[in-house]
Amino acid sequence: MTKLRSVLIAVIAFVTAPAIAFAQEFEKVKDMPTQNIPAGKFVVIAYSIIWLAILVYVLIMASGIRRVNAQLDDLKRKLDRR
Amino acid sequence: MRSPGTGFWIALLLAAAGFVIVPTMIIDAPIEPVMGFVQKIFYFHVPCAIMLFLSTFVCAGGSVAYLFKGSERGDRLALAAGELAVVFGICTLTSGPLWGRKAWGVWWQWDARLTSSLALFLMMLAYLIARKYGGAVGRKLSAAVALFAAIDVPLIYKSVDIWRTVHPKTTVVPSLDARMKPAFWSAFALITLVWALLLTVRVRLERARTELAELRLDADELAEEHA
Repeated sequence: MTKLRSVLIAVIAFVTAPAIAFAQEFEKVKDMPTQNIPAGKFVVIAYSIIWLAILVYVLIMASGIRRVNAQLDDLKRKLDRR
Repeated sequence: MRSPGTGFWIALLLAAAGFVIVPTMIIDAPIEPVMGFVQKIFYFHVPCAIMLFLSTFVCAGGSVAYLFKGSERGDRLALAAGELAVVFGICTLTSGPLWGRKAWGVWWQWDARLTSSLALFLMMLAYLIARKYGGAVGRKLSAAVALFAAIDVPLIYKSVDIWRTVHPKTTVVPSLDARMKPAFWSAFALITLVWALLLTVRVRLERARTELAELRLDADELAEEHA
């Protein structure tokens, strides 16, 4: 009985295998609607973000330098008064 | 702050010239046949990613010097590089999705390359947060974070070879069309120059802050002696 069941399973697997394999294959989609994304806009945005990030960092540093210089001048004035 | 030397001004002049020359070279470079015009993001996206890696390594190197030798200079270098890692991380993680949206049809994929890059960015952000708000142990804590971040860099680089990802492989730059190479290497040189200039200025600013703090202490001591 077990032998018969094994043979039956083997036969079913053999018969259905091509169908299963076929079902798993990718099928080429015909007439698929294409998305028209403007590449130029994306390139401009990407470059703008890069240079903006660097510019913001430069401005933060410039503000830091100005603050340090102002504090140094302040300290110098205090010391001169003494 | 003392004024910088001649080398700094030459580098600044070169960078300024680069801002004019490099975009022209990128526009003149041939359009990639598969991805089209959007591939032009590549010329700045890749150098920014390399600067993110370099900043992380420099930050980890400075952190090692600070952790094991107590080097204040190393600590200043680590802080400057840590900030630059975040800046170039922003550049990489924003230019990449813009490219991906057009090339892959999606803004983001949770694949190995993109996820590990985001993890690196978050670690470098954690470095800065731990340093600023970590209190007395903040500097040591952040130095340890920098070491973990540096371990992530080789993993990011090799991720496209180890796992299946949508991101292009590491062979992209070596196998680049010969007509695209001058534009790419010029953009790389420009970004590296900008990185070096920013690092130099940031380290000098941090040194000036330390000197100012020391001067204040000396001034206070003098005032106490006179009083």
